[in-house]
Amino acid sequence: MTTVTDNSSLPHYTARSMAIHSLSAFAGEALALGLATGPVCLASCGPVVLPWMLVQPRGLRTHSTQLSLFLAARLAGYLLFAAAVWTAGSAIPHAWVGRSWLLGGTQLLLAGALFVYAAGFPHPRCARSASAAPLVHIGDSPHPRRSGAATLGFLTGINLCPPFLVAGVRAALLATLPSALIYFAFFFIGTSVWFAPFLSLSVVRRTPSLVTVARMVAVLLACWYGVSGALILMEKVVYG
Amino acid sequence: MRASILAILAYTAAGLTLAAAALTPFLLIGAFSAGVAHAGLHIDPAYSGGTVARILARPGYNITVYQPVRPHLLQRVDPFVQVAFSPTGSLPARVSDEVDLDGDGQPDVRISFRVPGDPHARPQGEVVALNDRYRSFSMPGRYSFSQLLVRSGDAIVVRVPLNKAR
Amino acid sequence: MASRSSAVLHPRVFRSVGRSLLLTLPMALWSLLMFTPSLRQSRRDVTIGSAIVIAFMTTLFYLMVRTGNTYRWRRCFFVALGFLFPIGFISALIAVRGTMSIPIERMVSGDTPFCFMVTPMLVIPAAFTRTIIFPGSILPTSSNPHSIAVMIGLWLAMTLVLGKAWCSYGCFFGGIEEGFAAVRKRAKIRRTVDKFAPRLRLIPWALLIVVVALSAALMEPIYCMWLCPFKTVTEYPAVHSVETAIQMGIFIVLFAGLVVVLPYLTKKRTQCAFFCPFGAFQSIFNKINPFEIRIDREKCVDCTLCQTTCPTMALSKESIREGKTLMNCMKCGACVDSCNKDAAVWHLKGTRVGLHPERARLLFLYGAWAMATMFGGSILANSLATMIRFLPKIHSMLLK
Repeated sequence: MTTVTDNSSLPHYTARSMAIHSLSAFAGEALALGLATGPVCLASCGPVVLPWMLVQPRGLRTHSTQLSLFLAARLAGYLLFAAAVWTAGSAIPHAWVGRSWLLGGTQLLLAGALFVYAAGFPHPRCARSASAAPLVHIGDSPHPRRSGAATLGFLTGINLCPPFLVAGVRAALLATLPSALIYFAFFFIGTSVWFAPFLSLSVVRRTPSLVTVARMVAVLLACWYGVSGALILMEKVVYG
Repeated sequence: MRASILAILAYTAAGLTLAAAALTPFLLIGAFSAGVAHAGLHIDPAYSGGTVARILARPGYNITVYQPVRPHLLQRVDPFVQVAFSPTGSLPARVSDEVDLDGDGQPDVRISFRVPGDPHARPQGEVVALNDRYRSFSMPGRYSFSQLLVRSGDAIVVRVPLNKAR
Repeated sequence: MASRSSAVLHPRVFRSVGRSLLLTLPMALWSLLMFTPSLRQSRRDVTIGSAIVIAFMTTLFYLMVRTGNTYRWRRCFFVALGFLFPIGFISALIAVRGTMSIPIERMVSGDTPFCFMVTPMLVIPAAFTRTIIFPGSILPTSSNPHSIAVMIGLWLAMTLVLGKAWCSYGCFFGGIEEGFAAVRKRAKIRRTVDKFAPRLRLIPWALLIVVVALSAALMEPIYCMWLCPFKTVTEYPAVHSVETAIQMGIFIVLFAGLVVVLPYLTKKRTQCAFFCPFGAFQSIFNKINPFEIRIDREKCVDCTLCQTTCPTMALSKESIREGKTLMNCMKCGACVDSCNKDAAVWHLKGTRVGLHPERARLLFLYGAWAMATMFGGSILANSLATMIRFLPKIHSMLLK
């Protein structure tokens, strides 16, 4: 007995429309994941962004540029990782043996970058402010530094924070490399929304004390990342 | 005029501060403490073990199974399930139990330990995972908030780590 | 310069004995009221400890009133508190646990006594997730009477009265370094400290931001786990891994450096001035406290003696020119007592500077000393009782 099904009432799917549906579905999922895990991203990257923004000169334009650079570099880090994850295949985040090396190494690099940019040496502006008021305050930045925002953004991008790993697991399961990259890009947009409030720092008045405290915060965070990275590597060596 | 108003306000504030000092042991500490106690706060489950899911009765003792604790994404504690054997006085010298942690009717882990006579001594034993949702371990070993076999009050508390790869 | 370094006290006109006694009477009654329950106890050690504390606190207050000096007599109490607190605390720990370290089972049971230092780190997680990131208990239990609710209640009430003066009349740690700072007659290191002070005194603020942010992000009390120098003389997580060993090393180095060696060499409370994030947090509450110390510009000759004597570097040339102390002033009274021109004065906000400074001082002292007696006094009494209890044991051990 043959059953004849009438498909005339169902919508007619073409390969293109199915691809669009599929793309919008996983883009939506990535965006939702980014929005949902944004507070964790904020907690993870916020301590790096906050002091960095405070040592930049006041002004919405400067801050927008710096934040955009930070986020763009972070996206570059994300996409690089997405490509690596997809190329290497599934199950990288938790089972991958090199994860500790990458995490520990990245944290040490982040510590180094934070320290160099926060302490402000060997940049000439540090010497200038120090000569004006010897060792009293480290001095603010008369000119915004783009390389700093980009370096810190990239290093926080590949810092394998947990929301990033969650997105990594999902991206690794996608069929094509472009899908994995698109997934990460939308995930990035979702998390980036949470960084918008940092622009309000552009109106905070820069006093020497505030800038000095911001730089000290960055140095202390550098110490934290340094110790944390070293411990991760040490545990890897000791416990395997 | 402004100066005298300010002075009146200043002395009023000083008087209020003195009144607060006098009331501190009798009223303020209690009031503030009650405020904190009733603020709906709870101790982080990574420390407290979370909320009780169910109690399994065994001859002479109970096994309290807690809800799985899945820490915050950046928290350095691994996810775990807490199980408490109590009261310690009624536990046999050696306990070996298969425990259903997720309530699906199937045992998930086998927990075996010796109950030391000395209340200050740590119990020794092992946890064997019966499926890949949990991780096995033995004690004495590496103690952490997600991997424990200790005496806590009138109970032997076991924390079984969840397998993160899942 | 030599006279500067040793000049802490400037002779004042003494109050009459009768008037001083009359002004001390309320405080004597307060002390009695605070310790009546202890005096009624059947335990001899507790009764003796409490009686000694009543006499001690009342005498010190009388001396403050009679001599017009605040710093010296307050320091007697504060140093005693700083050195006796660890004795009582460690003895209690050893009696209950047999060790100073906190085993993980005590943390799991919620038996870790709450310390005020944790307070700023609790705020964000409690506000956003209603979670307390401390292994204690919210309500008091038989095994942990120092519960979070009770201790935060106590801190809030005392902060309302003291503001930043908590660091001079309430903190049970500051006395240790004040004690070491008092050992030398003159500072061995001064110029370096003066040179770096403007930057160094910002460290507590930076540290406060970092520990609050990291604690909120990682949901664990970062300062207690990594940076608290006073873990060395109270309790610390049991060493069971490389990480805990490093933490213990940090505690010891910070304690030795900031609480013992540097205060001894500089005659400053270096940990309080250049490190303590809780002190920075407490400075915020100075804004709502009506009492402060000001510099009367009409009398000031810019000798900067007040700046030199301030144990926490809470004065700078700029602030003296403005007639103010910095935000981290803990109202210990050192600058007022050292000023030869009576330019550094106690002041009630809203009144004219230099008008009735002694009235402002007394009003402040009644509140501050009441808190010191209630809180610090009870710690002293407890520690004394512990010492009295253990004295026969120590004596017999020595005889053996």
